[in-house]
Amino acid sequence: MMRLMEKHGYRILSCGRVSLLLRPYTAILCCVLAAAVLAIAIGALPAGSYHIPLPDVLKTLLHPQTATNDQRYIVWDIRLPRILMAVLSGAMLGLSGAAMQSITRNGLADPGLIGVKEGAGVMVLSLIVFFPTVGVAWRPVVGMAGGLAVALLVVAIARDMARVRFILIGIGVSWFFSAAISLFMTTANIRDVQTALVWLTGSLHASVWPLVLVATLWSLVGSAILYTTARASDVALLGDQTACGLGVRLKILSFARFAGPVLLTSASVSCVGNLGFVGLIAPHMARFAIGGNQVALLTSSALMGAGLVLIADSVGRLAFAPLQIPAGIVMAVLGVPFFLMLLWRRRHRL
Amino acid sequence: MTLGLFLLLALAVIHLGIGARFVGPQTVITALLSYDPTNFDHKIVVDLRLLRLLSAIVCGAALGVAGALLQSVTRNPLGEPHILGLNAGAALAVVLATATGSSWLAEPLGRPLIAAVGAAALFGVVLGLASAGKNGLTPMKATLFGVAFSAFASSLTAAILILDEQTLDDLRIWLAGDLAGLTYLALVNAAYVVSAGCAVALVLAPYLNVLALGDAVAKGLGVNVMAVRAASLLAAALFCGAAVSIAGPIAFIGLVVPHMVRRLVSDDLRLLFPLSAIGGGVLLLAADIAARTIVAPQELATGLLTALAGAPVFIFIAARRFR
Repeated sequence: MMRLMEKHGYRILSCGRVSLLLRPYTAILCCVLAAAVLAIAIGALPAGSYHIPLPDVLKTLLHPQTATNDQRYIVWDIRLPRILMAVLSGAMLGLSGAAMQSITRNGLADPGLIGVKEGAGVMVLSLIVFFPTVGVAWRPVVGMAGGLAVALLVVAIARDMARVRFILIGIGVSWFFSAAISLFMTTANIRDVQTALVWLTGSLHASVWPLVLVATLWSLVGSAILYTTARASDVALLGDQTACGLGVRLKILSFARFAGPVLLTSASVSCVGNLGFVGLIAPHMARFAIGGNQVALLTSSALMGAGLVLIADSVGRLAFAPLQIPAGIVMAVLGVPFFLMLLWRRRHRL
Repeated sequence: MTLGLFLLLALAVIHLGIGARFVGPQTVITALLSYDPTNFDHKIVVDLRLLRLLSAIVCGAALGVAGALLQSVTRNPLGEPHILGLNAGAALAVVLATATGSSWLAEPLGRPLIAAVGAAALFGVVLGLASAGKNGLTPMKATLFGVAFSAFASSLTAAILILDEQTLDDLRIWLAGDLAGLTYLALVNAAYVVSAGCAVALVLAPYLNVLALGDAVAKGLGVNVMAVRAASLLAAALFCGAAVSIAGPIAFIGLVVPHMVRRLVSDDLRLLFPLSAIGGGVLLLAADIAARTIVAPQELATGLLTALAGAPVFIFIAARRFR
């Protein structure tokens, strides 16, 4: 057994009672990916309507006391939270897409595509409209409730998650809830609508530190769920009977693997609004570029997602400056061709 | 059909009656039959509300027939201008034309025809991609490609509107799928286009009936399958172009109506087309009445109400008829 594993490039990393199965090759690739995301993030920091040279940005980041007030304000209070938010939300969406695709065994599955975004959106909107005094920290909690309810509704209607019908029904449900959102927007008080619009368009420009902290918290919770169940779901891919025989509690596993992605997606939607297609694209790119077991897939997919959103946001921010295009729209323009490509590859089966 | 026409008339009278000032049914009928310019109620009905009524009927009829046409051509129970991407294509074409300041928009038939070209182009791509593969044109592929292209076109539309403030200002109300703020000129232009589409559809109906038996049988019976498909694509695009040019993208009318007619009356397309036209008119009128009364004195966009009511139908059909 040990020899077989070593032959396939796996190494065991153990520290006391905790041991980890690791493939140095994948680990290195993931590090390269992480470095690339970091490089994009640093590259995006100097650019903007107020250009700050890169050395000054680094100086401001490392020694905030020495920088001028302007620079400190722009780097620390405007650009850094925005970039961190892009990375966090992208990572959350990438994680959720990877987990959802493996649990449903459906390469087109993405929590964002089946109405979770809209369900979370309805709940967050009603929070903004009916309880305007409640702080932003509650938005993800409410959004998660909505997202989970919608996801369960879609599963209840579609029954079999491995079929393409699941996606179709999810799209129908998301249409219904997006009409409900528009209904909200046209009837509610105009001042609430303005608050809501800022959040709704999937733009990252409203990112502030409290929101970043909230997103960090929930991404930690969600990734904890997904990573602790990663090994078991590797085993579950061998088929239900084998997995049962090897001691996997399938019911708990599939619920955790289903709820985790939904929670992550709703949390990211509650923080940054409508950002589509990341959860669909990132896992496919990760599988293509790196592959490997669940842990590797989750990690690389999260990194890919972070990179994607970061690029989409920077393009939307800089390409048509001084006008800004919300990252959600850039993501849709990039993402639909990808979705079409996935459909095209399935053209003999649909 | 008589019942349908009766229903349409009744709804039309109600539609003309309600509003900020309620006008009784009798007054509405006398206003239409013997118009008295000095009577205030008559002025409201004829000068202010008649236009909206007529646009709703034309628009609903166009969408109803377009849905029936698309469902029979693609053999897809989910065939509908919104789902298959025609509405989004039409909207994108109009927005592009407005943003580039195209002089064609000023021509009398410009807007409906530009919209029709957009719808035809996007739907042509959807059909082409969906026909690829071993199984030919399957409903699942047509629907998924349609949805994807629809999303693509609407995100492009959104991007253009953000980048070009002037276009946004010109088209903001129109894009929500609303029947407010129309002109007689736009209505008349759209009506021409709709009648052209109706003529094509009625000529095509017998051939499409044969086509429903399957491509091979239709070929054996002497029907030129490709030509019929192309002509129905053209007709559907004309309908969508007209409907979108009047009221913006309105969803799901074309999905619901043909299913209802087929269940209640017949699936002979020669009957289905006219009945879908009437049914579409009835449904859009009902939706418009609801949009104007539910939160009166405020008004909802009509397209929103049809989307709210139509999405569950979509889900129901997808759950029942797709594997």
